[in-house]
Amino acid sequence: MAADQFACTAAVIEETPDAVVVSNLGVASYVLAEVGDRERNFYLWGSMGSTTATGVGVAHGTDEQVTVLAGDGSLTMSLGVCSTVATADQSNLTVVCFDNGIYGTTGGQPTPSIDFAAAAEAQGLPAERVDSDDEFAAAYADAVARDGPSLIECTVEPTDPEARPTFDFPHIPRRVRDSLTE
Amino acid sequence: MSWEAEIVDGLLDAEIDLVTQLPDGAMGAVLEGIQESDVDTLRVEREESAIAAASGAWVTGERAAVMCQSSGLANAINAIGSLSAPARLPFLALVTRRGDLGEFNVAQVPAGYGLPGMMDEMGIRHTVVEEPGTLRKTVRMAADSAFSTRTPYVVFLDATVTGYGQEAQ
Ligand SMILES: Cc1ncc(C[n+]2csc(CCOP(=O)(O)OP(=O)(O)O)c2C)c(N)n1
Ligand SMILES: [Mg+2]
Repeated sequence: MAADQFACTAAVIEETPDAVVVSNLGVASYVLAEVGDRERNFYLWGSMGSTTATGVGVAHGTDEQVTVLAGDGSLTMSLGVCSTVATADQSNLTVVCFDNGIYGTTGGQPTPSIDFAAAAEAQGLPAERVDSDDEFAAAYADAVARDGPSLIECTVEPTDPEARPTFDFPHIPRRVRDSLTE
Repeated sequence: MSWEAEIVDGLLDAEIDLVTQLPDGAMGAVLEGIQESDVDTLRVEREESAIAAASGAWVTGERAAVMCQSSGLANAINAIGSLSAPARLPFLALVTRRGDLGEFNVAQVPAGYGLPGMMDEMGIRHTVVEEPGTLRKTVRMAADSAFSTRTPYVVFLDATVTGYGQEAQ
């Protein structure tokens, strides 16, 4: 079984319409843009492996929900970041790892197979594993409601979205900032 | 005033909200001083995460600083080059620079000695502090310039300020 990355991303926006959503470079950002552009979409165009840590920084300065949409390849690159999420212990932070089993953005080469939920738990970060749209929506609602950060490992079908966020990279965080501070 | 206290005062003058860091022996007293103040600290697993978290904090209106050793800044080059600089996410970095005067450990030399040049190549402004006397002002001015120009600024602290290990003597 595998969930649909579009449906799960749409479920994030539906459950937490005011959340800052920090999306991994490539497919996660393209899907987010296709689901719908919003001021608080913090699309990344680079820094593979740093998506989750970027979310930790955002979550420090706001009380709004902050949701990271990571990829399995990127999270593998900095798997120890789960310990930083656990250390920071922010109740407004949720990390979603979309595990499509590939480096989708670079052409679909297989990623190492990792039990991300177990890896997160081993670092003190509570985690859940899901593989359907309904399970994801329920797990996400639980994650948002809980008093502490957590990770959801979501097995998804590979997808190749058409949409792209703006190529004007500095505009993306500026817009998030204006939305949070004005 | 100790150089460590000068840095803490500079960070307070600059109204830094968050310091992201991975410990460095030389900066122990600075970290203690910050932890006794109202400034929050976050220990990360890898310096790249310190850069990313400090960069992310900017979208909330906060001013963040990164503290690490030069080897840690070397660990974080891609986050600076593909996040902070191109997305215009400013931070102040305080980096203890190994690899130059007094260095005994050759493993610290290529990156530590070379980092100011690497920052130049990437268009990241920086200054190398060799004397502690004006540190408070330097930290304050570096932060002010980083946040008003919306670009990162790196303050390197040389061994002439922080002291150096004499293991090889
Ligand atoms: C440091 C670094 N290494 C490699 C790349 C090339 N690259 C860009 S996206 C990507 C794949 C990311 O994989 P994953 O996180 O699983 O996301 P997916 O593309 O599958 O959504 C790679 C390897 C890069 N941009 N930066
Ligand atoms: Mg992937």
